Amino acid sequence: MRVLNKIVDWIDQRIGAREILKKELTGYLLPRNINAWYSLGSILLFAFALQVLSGILLLIYYVPDADKAFKSVSYIMNEVPYGWLIRMCHAVGSNMMVLALLLHMLSVLFMGSYKRPRELNWLTGFILFSMIQGISLTGYLLPWSQLSFWATTVATNSANAIPVVGPYLVEFLRGGVLVGPPTLGRFFALHVAVIPAGIAALIGAHLFLLKRTGVSTPPFGKKNTESQLQSDVYHHEDHPGGIPFFPDFALEDLRGIAIYMACFLAVLFFDPYLFFPKDAFIPANAFVTPAHIKPEWYFLANYQTLKIFPNELIGLSLQGAAMTFLALLPFVDRGRERHPLKRPLFMACSVGGLLLWIGLSIWGHFS
Amino acid sequence: MDNSGRRTFLGICLAGLGALTAAAVGWPLFRYLAPRTNKESAGKVVIPEAEVKAGEAKFFEYAGSSAVLLRKQDGSLIAFSAICTHLGCIVQWEKDKQDFLCPCHGGHYNSDGAVTAGPPPKPLPRIPFSVAGGNITVG
Ligand code: HEM
Ligand code: FES
Repeated sequence: MRVLNKIVDWIDQRIGAREILKKELTGYLLPRNINAWYSLGSILLFAFALQVLSGILLLIYYVPDADKAFKSVSYIMNEVPYGWLIRMCHAVGSNMMVLALLLHMLSVLFMGSYKRPRELNWLTGFILFSMIQGISLTGYLLPWSQLSFWATTVATNSANAIPVVGPYLVEFLRGGVLVGPPTLGRFFALHVAVIPAGIAALIGAHLFLLKRTGVSTPPFGKKNTESQLQSDVYHHEDHPGGIPFFPDFALEDLRGIAIYMACFLAVLFFDPYLFFPKDAFIPANAFVTPAHIKPEWYFLANYQTLKIFPNELIGLSLQGAAMTFLALLPFVDRGRERHPLKRPLFMACSVGGLLLWIGLSIWGHFS
Repeated sequence: MDNSGRRTFLGICLAGLGALTAAAVGWPLFRYLAPRTNKESAGKVVIPEAEVKAGEAKFFEYAGSSAVLLRKQDGSLIAFSAICTHLGCIVQWEKDKQDFLCPCHGGHYNSDGAVTAGPPPKPLPRIPFSVAGGNITVG
């Protein structure tokens, strides 16, 4: 301990480290009525770190070559000691992370935290959401199973509906007329280099914006601490008399992460193939389309929408419109009231939208 | 209750929990990364006797490493590890000079594996083998 203190002293004398620690940890005050939903951001950071770590480990044995990809994944699962653990961490982790991401979005939505001055926080978050979808989609192809191959065929094919450029866009995405070895090359580069770097950068922007505006005060719960200013000049939302981030809220974050890990490990050890249909265990065959090819659960609503409308362009446009509306929500919904029960129109729309999404997903699952 | 006693107790519990978690994460990670012993090359290697002519050497993989089988001019056989005892490069057989050259730093070994020139500190280690029915079995 004494040695550690000496090292910290040494650094402190040079760069004033204790001052930063005090300001960012013990002196960083959060609203007194902060709730457990605010831990979802930390849970997401943790989940993303886990994906990066397990992903790097998989790269050691995975071979991004159409002839070898499936075999290398089988080798990881069956031969490499604890390879199954690393691979299942990555595959189950991606699903659990999307779940946490949806919950994070919903909590921000229902607490009205996206409102002024946090529009940019919402916007960067929304871009993160799209990038997470992109990283899932590209990662899905990498095992080169029947599921990978045909899910990618269907997903890339939907771009066909776009007028004029559609057919060329599909070919461009695939690196060929059909999904094949060139598709694997580009999806691999996107999945392990381009998108992760983009996500890391956007997480940085997301957190920077959070620091500059200050954490929002929940619209309900215990006594409010903040001074709600809505002027035209920049104002950092302080929380005098609030609870310190360290150790108080850091412990709450840790609890959140522990709960997340408990759910994660429960799936991993008791139902590891929860997210794996049987086509995931058959190597890709470009000449045999399996019956009932379906995307991952969080794309089922998109899938079903495309299925409902006989005209693909309408289905695709509707999805584009819904996504654009969500992305621009803080600029559309500009009222100051944030308490959900005092916003009946907002509540009706968002609960309705949520039920529609769940309904479409269930329909997609059973159709 | 004594507050500092409780603090120490909780501290010990936390440290124990931390150590357990670290072990549960560390062990699979170590096993995942640990080198895989190659079962195929761990056993014996069989080479037909006719493949090694007098004055010539045959290089092959043995126990996950490199080895060489040499038939001297007098017809006798001898097997070595092909790894230079200096800094681990693979030696070459120079048929015209009837000696091993290590190209990395100019080490020389004669056909008995003894160092004749250069920096290698020790002779090439010998590998046991047996000859039966026209086949040489190394290992
Ligand atoms: C990889 C994905 C993401 C990560 C790692 C992440 C991380 C975080 C963290 C650590 C916080 C601060 C703690 C909290 O309030 O939860 C936060 C806040 C926030 N996030 Fe995210 N986030 C992600 C995606 C999203 C998405 C998809 C949205 C919405 C479209 C979003 C919108 C927001 C907003 C508006 C806040 C401010 C909340 C407040 O100040 O009360 N985030 N995020
Ligand atoms: S490694 Fe062979 S002489 Fe240096």
